[in-house]
Amino acid sequence: MEIPYIVNPRKDTGLINSKIAIWLFLASEVMLFGGFFSAYVYLRLGADYPWPERTLPVLPGLINTFILIGSSVTVVFAWVALKLGNWRQFQIYMGITVACAAIFMVLKGLEYNVKFKHQAARLHDYTIVEGHLGYQKDDKKEYVFDRHGKKIEENMIRVVAEKVTVSVKRFHAPWVNEMLSEAKHNGSEIKLAADIKAITEEGGKEVTLAKAGEPLSLDLLGKIQEVQIAALKHNAALRTAALRMEWKETKKANPGKKGWQLSSDVNIDVDALSPRLLTEVSNVEFKVDPPTRFLFKPRDIKEGATSSRLRDDTVIAGVMEASPMVFHNLDAIDFQWLVMRAKERGADPDTAIANSWLMKNSEFVREAWAWHLAENVKKQDELNRRFGFKEDGKTPKETLTHKELYRIGWKELGLMGVDTKQVKIGGVDKIKEEFMGPNYKARGSETYPELSVPREEIRHAAKFTPAWNTYYAVYFTITGLHGLHVIGGALVLLYYLVFGRKMFLSNPEWLANRVEVGGLFWHFVDLVWIFAFPIFYLM
Amino acid sequence: MADSIEAIQKAKKTYLLVFGALLVGTVLTVLVATVPALDIGGHGFDIYDAILGLLIASTKATLVAAIFMHLNHEKKLIYWVFFGSIFFFFAMGALFALAESSPIFDYNFYK
Repeated sequence: MEIPYIVNPRKDTGLINSKIAIWLFLASEVMLFGGFFSAYVYLRLGADYPWPERTLPVLPGLINTFILIGSSVTVVFAWVALKLGNWRQFQIYMGITVACAAIFMVLKGLEYNVKFKHQAARLHDYTIVEGHLGYQKDDKKEYVFDRHGKKIEENMIRVVAEKVTVSVKRFHAPWVNEMLSEAKHNGSEIKLAADIKAITEEGGKEVTLAKAGEPLSLDLLGKIQEVQIAALKHNAALRTAALRMEWKETKKANPGKKGWQLSSDVNIDVDALSPRLLTEVSNVEFKVDPPTRFLFKPRDIKEGATSSRLRDDTVIAGVMEASPMVFHNLDAIDFQWLVMRAKERGADPDTAIANSWLMKNSEFVREAWAWHLAENVKKQDELNRRFGFKEDGKTPKETLTHKELYRIGWKELGLMGVDTKQVKIGGVDKIKEEFMGPNYKARGSETYPELSVPREEIRHAAKFTPAWNTYYAVYFTITGLHGLHVIGGALVLLYYLVFGRKMFLSNPEWLANRVEVGGLFWHFVDLVWIFAFPIFYLM
Repeated sequence: MADSIEAIQKAKKTYLLVFGALLVGTVLTVLVATVPALDIGGHGFDIYDAILGLLIASTKATLVAAIFMHLNHEKKLIYWVFFGSIFFFFAMGALFALAESSPIFDYNFYK
């Protein structure tokens, strides 16, 4: 089939069809990204926590901006080369464009990777600590490995399980397997605590589905689940039918009355119905013999002192052992939110900071805070020199920002290391830092020390992912979606580069038009980044 | 759009100039955000910095749209489509702004 108006313009529009199509698509893209950018503004204005402004390392964003701008030029040069009938030049420019896209995505990947490995935790007093988590070590200070041969992150919830009650409807098979293999590894068994009996046929007798002592297995749970689902289906049908009948009769007995006037009179005769119902086995209890320790990721469990619940509604009865979150390298101490809360309730910020768990329990934090206060005095003096005082001659015209006053970020801790402990690092390490954030290896534990936070002090914890706060949520949404556009655009341009030769020989104008349309999309991707860069990195 | 070879050659120079301008604009955005001496408005990030940052970004975007995307000499239909979407984008922003200023969000309103 011949596609109309792809080389010569249509008379009424004066345009080739593909161009109108791409502009219509770009218009929809404006709305898509516009929606997300509006969401960003809305989330930022409505944030009930100190917005993490200027928080990302600028260098990767800046380099990526250069790369995208550069690729915008090369894609337009590739189109020019086609217009001039120069295939070789087209190949070079288009090749550079696609390479730029690849570099952009690699840098983005590195940036994301750093975020995914960076831990943050908000304590109950609204102090925030950030850093890099450590791995469990034994007495000889060597890493402990789990049965999969992996290092154990010191962010696990440890429960000595005595009983495990599995939700028949919701159990998550991989977790069941994990518990089974962990129990086996520890020389323990998980066995059924009591017989499971159920009526599986209407009017039938109770049968034993499984006997006490039977080991936990997915087959066993599957069998019980089947019975449970059948029972739920059967019972629901019976109840619905009974309810319908009851409605019918109530309506007949009260002619002319509306449904809402009758609803309180509609009751199912439970006694009549119950002999016909099948047994619903919603939970099955297992004994862990002997009790053994299970490790859970914090996101999978709502932990308690003697009873914890997994996300699949499995209840683990047993004592929770000390499960601190250990920052192998602490790289930021943030009192911004704590101060915000203190001011909200009319309390003195300095007292609130002095009473915080961190200040009371960490010698390093106390040192860092004292150093930070002294630095702030110097910074304020500098501001006074630059901007002067108000008319009263005492009040400074400009004061330090909330962030400067109450956050000790990784850069400040780095400066403190240089200042107080003479920790100096080389130029390459410094550049690396500008790119990837705190350089723990180069600066060592003197600058970024270890900190163990008891689990009960933690209110919310996450890596720097959308789970941490709305800033990261909208950052990942927009940059992720933008990244997908980069990949999509690059694939189309790569297609022209690899498979365009035949069309170049047979119909060069058509290929030029195709490249122009692909190029328009590419420029749009650049446009989005032109706004995303200052908004996420500089504001 | 440039069709003759001469016009295309001439356009290439413009593209390079725009490239330079975009690089300068990018560096400028970073400088005004990171160098204290170039910080406009009060100390630290404030509304003036936001306006300046977005102004530079908008200028860069206009250059890309006008020169690279050839919007400086495009057919009417394209203007309707693209600027129509820009209009609706601002309309959407206005809806958010109106929602923000609604008394529902004003806690003092109920006091």
